[in-house]
Parts: sequence; C-alpha cells; structure tokens
Amino acid sequence: MSWLRIRTVVRRHYLVLWRQPNRWFDIVVWPLFDVLLFGSLGAFVAQENGASRATAPYLLAGIMLFHVLFQCQIAVATGFMEETWSRNLLNIMTTPITEVEYAAGLALYAFVKLVMAMVAITIAALVFFGFDLTAVGWSLVPIVGSLLLVGWAIALVVIGMLLRFGQSAEILAWGLNFVLLALSGVFSPITALPGVVQPVASILPTTYSFRAMRTVLDGGDIPWNDITAGVAGALVACLLSYGFVVHMLHVFRRRGFVTRFS
Amino acid sequence: MGYVLEARGLHKRFKQVVAVDGVDLTVAAGERVALLGPNGAGKTTTLLMLLGAVTPDEGSIEIDGHRLPRGRSRGMAEVGFVAGYLPLPDRLRVREALSIFGGFYGMRRAEAAVAIERNLDRFGVSHLADRMCMELSSGQRTLVGIVKAVLHQPRLLVLDEPTASLDPDVAFRVRSGLIEVCDTEGTALLVTSHNMTEVERLCERVVFIAKGRVVADGTPAEVVAHYGHDDLEAVFMHLAGTRLDQDDI
Repeated sequence: MSWLRIRTVVRRHYLVLWRQPNRWFDIVVWPLFDVLLFGSLGAFVAQENGASRATAPYLLAGIMLFHVLFQCQIAVATGFMEETWSRNLLNIMTTPITEVEYAAGLALYAFVKLVMAMVAITIAALVFFGFDLTAVGWSLVPIVGSLLLVGWAIALVVIGMLLRFGQSAEILAWGLNFVLLALSGVFSPITALPGVVQPVASILPTTYSFRAMRTVLDGGDIPWNDITAGVAGALVACLLSYGFVVHMLHVFRRRGFVTRFS
Repeated sequence: MGYVLEARGLHKRFKQVVAVDGVDLTVAAGERVALLGPNGAGKTTTLLMLLGAVTPDEGSIEIDGHRLPRGRSRGMAEVGFVAGYLPLPDRLRVREALSIFGGFYGMRRAEAAVAIERNLDRFGVSHLADRMCMELSSGQRTLVGIVKAVLHQPRLLVLDEPTASLDPDVAFRVRSGLIEVCDTEGTALLVTSHNMTEVERLCERVVFIAKGRVVADGTPAEVVAHYGHDDLEAVFMHLAGTRLDQDDI
C-alpha cells in the first residue's frame, strides 16, 4: 500500500473540487438549506404544540447526521464518476495504483469534504436555531463513525453497479441515500413507518445509529446496545460492499467493459 | 533473452465473438515492436489484456517478470501507456495532470516536476504546461499523453494509435521524441498503428494480427518478403482484403 498514491488520489479530486464551484453545492448549499428547512419545521411544530419541544433537535440532529452519510457516499461515488465523465478510467487502470489505494484515497477525500460540510452546517444550526450538535458529547463519535462507514459502503455498491451497468447506474449515487433517509428512522422511530417496511428498516445499521442519537438527545444513558449494533452493522455493510465491488471489478475486467468508458 | 513483456497463448472471447485466439507476443528490453492488423483484428483487446484492464480467458502475461493479475501493480510501474483516443482529466491543467500521474507512478512532486519539464520540452509542448487539459487539440492531447507515459521512465511504452489524426509535422515530432526516449533510456516500445510508413520508420519488428491470431512476426523486411509484396502497406492491404473476402463468404 502506497501512502503517496493515496495522497495523490486526494490531490487529484481536491483540484477538481477547487475548479468546479458547482461541487461546493453538495458541501455547503444543500446542507445549509436542509438545516434551514428541517430546523424551521421543528421550530414550527414546537410552537404549535408545547409537548413537541423535542421535535426541533430531533429534526436538526437527524438531518445533520444524515449529512455525514450523504457527504461520504456522494464524495466517493462522484469521485469515481469523475473518472468516468472525463474518460480517465483506463488511464488510472494502467497505472500501478491498486483498487484498495484508490478506494482509500477516495474515502480520505470524502472525509475531508465531510469535515467541511459539517463545519458549515454546525455553524448554521448554531446561528439560526441555537442548536449545538457537539453538546451531545463523546457518544456522538461512534454514531458519526458508523454513519461514515455506511456512507462508504453505499458508495462502493454504487461503484460496483457503475462498473457492471455503466453510467445508467449513476442515478443510484443520489437515489440510495434517500432510500436510507426514508427507512432509517432519521427523524422518528421506525415504528412510525408502515408495518410492511419496518422489518427492512430494522436490519439497517443506520436505524440503530439514529435511534442512539435520539436517546442521547433525550438525555438518557448512552445506548451502547444501539451504538454497538450500528457500528457492527456498518462494518458488515463495508465488508459486503467491498466484496461486491471486487466481484464487479472482476466481471468488469472479464467482460472488457472498460471500453464503455474510453 | 530478457523480455519486458511476455504473453503466451492469449485467448479472449466476447459472447460469440472470438477477439483473440492464441496470441503469443514478446517484447525484449529496448526493442521497438509494432502490433498491426485491420480493424477488428484483436489489437486493442490484446493491448488491454497486456495492460491488465481486460482479463484473458486463457494464457499468461508477464511484465518485467511480474505475472498478471497478481503482479499488476508492480508490472504497471514499468509501463507507460497512451492512446490517441484517451484524453487526460478535463478539469486539470496539463502540469497538474502530469504531476498526478507522476504520483500514481510513485514519483514525489519535486521529482515529477523535473521530469515534467524535461519531457514537455522533449516533445516541444512546454508552452502547454499551464493550459487546461480540456482546451487541448487532439494533436496536443496526444503529445501531452506521451509525456504522461514516459514521465516515470518506464521499461515498456505501450501506444495505441498514437499518431492517428495528427498532422504530419506533429506525427514526426512524436516519432522523433519516441525514438529519443527509446535510445537514451533503453525503453521498449509496443505500438499499434495504421500508418505503415510510420511503423517502418519507428519499429524494428512487426507483428501482424488477423482474426485474433498472429499471422506474421519479423522485421518489416522479413514480413514484406514473406508475403511477396513491396512494402508493409501492401501486406496490410493483403491481410485486410483476406479478412473482407472471408467475411463475405
């Protein structure tokens, strides 16, 4: 494993980010307006019904932590898609960089983007709604960690689908996030979901991470069971998605799909 | 003999189409070899297998002693690749793109910077260093692509149609630069081209492929004599014509 090659992947995508103001949309604009939308929604519900004072923090913390997953996933997936858009995939594949180094570089780049986005939305939540996510404390760290891992895992699934089905699979880069947004109980317990989808929701690691977040926000003890389930599930998701992308890369090479991108 | 590239018994089938059917191909250190054949003969599939981008159904590939696919990373460290149809990343400046590829080849930024200046100058494109890659003409793109390929002083250069659609003067500059690289750095060359004149000037050995099989392998003079023609162009026409006749049947 070459640290130099991993850093080079980060530098390559940083330069593209710097050159393309539209890429800042993902990092600053969307998160900012999500905070405004969900924060104002929570504030309105709380004004209307005093018993629902917890709504605003639930919504704000939910959308902020959802952005952890979203930013990681979208940065890795669009990083790979950038190579397909610029027909650079064959150039990359004929260098010594390994799949693991490339994925590690994208993951690191995603982490940098995540930090930038989280700084922006944490400040926005604090300034607009007086909500400080960091007040949740250290239990936030494993929750964020599990969501970060799930974001990487989904991105690997998207990359695998792109390798197998070509650019028509790009829609998944954005679509899969919103499946998780709907099914993970980001803003409310999954018991609020229709009964038919609750079993699906209950096997998602993100469900446990968001439930842990709400427990902590309610001032309860740190819910180690949920945090452990979230982290363990995220690790399993990462392993499965890594296996999936390796298999898809094997199919990609065997069927000569590289010509689709060159 | 020390081979930088040794491929034996390569087979590749895409559904019902046999693209490559038992190709053996070797390139010795410092040797300049052309891989020729009509459209659809299997040249690009062969190159993609040699580069590890396509997995052969059968056969073995070693690059500088590293067997693919296990030794792909170490093997590719000794290979530079450029294709006339492949652009560099759009949204980077030429110098940045080259520096990024230098990094992929394990070169530190300062080391890459020196190699970039030297090779941009060698191929007469120093003035393009700060241009965006997306702004380059096809000829400029090819020249910069070759600079990318030679940056890390590879033992083997693989070029797929490097001078296709280039003006004669640019093609001449490409050939001159490549010969200089090969002579001064001992780099071997494997090139595909439809320009037979260029091949005769650049390469000391030609390998003809037709219908996925090697049908001739030797010096240009040997191959021309084997087919009883006057030059490589005529041999190419002969093989392409054979292919068309067979397809008609």
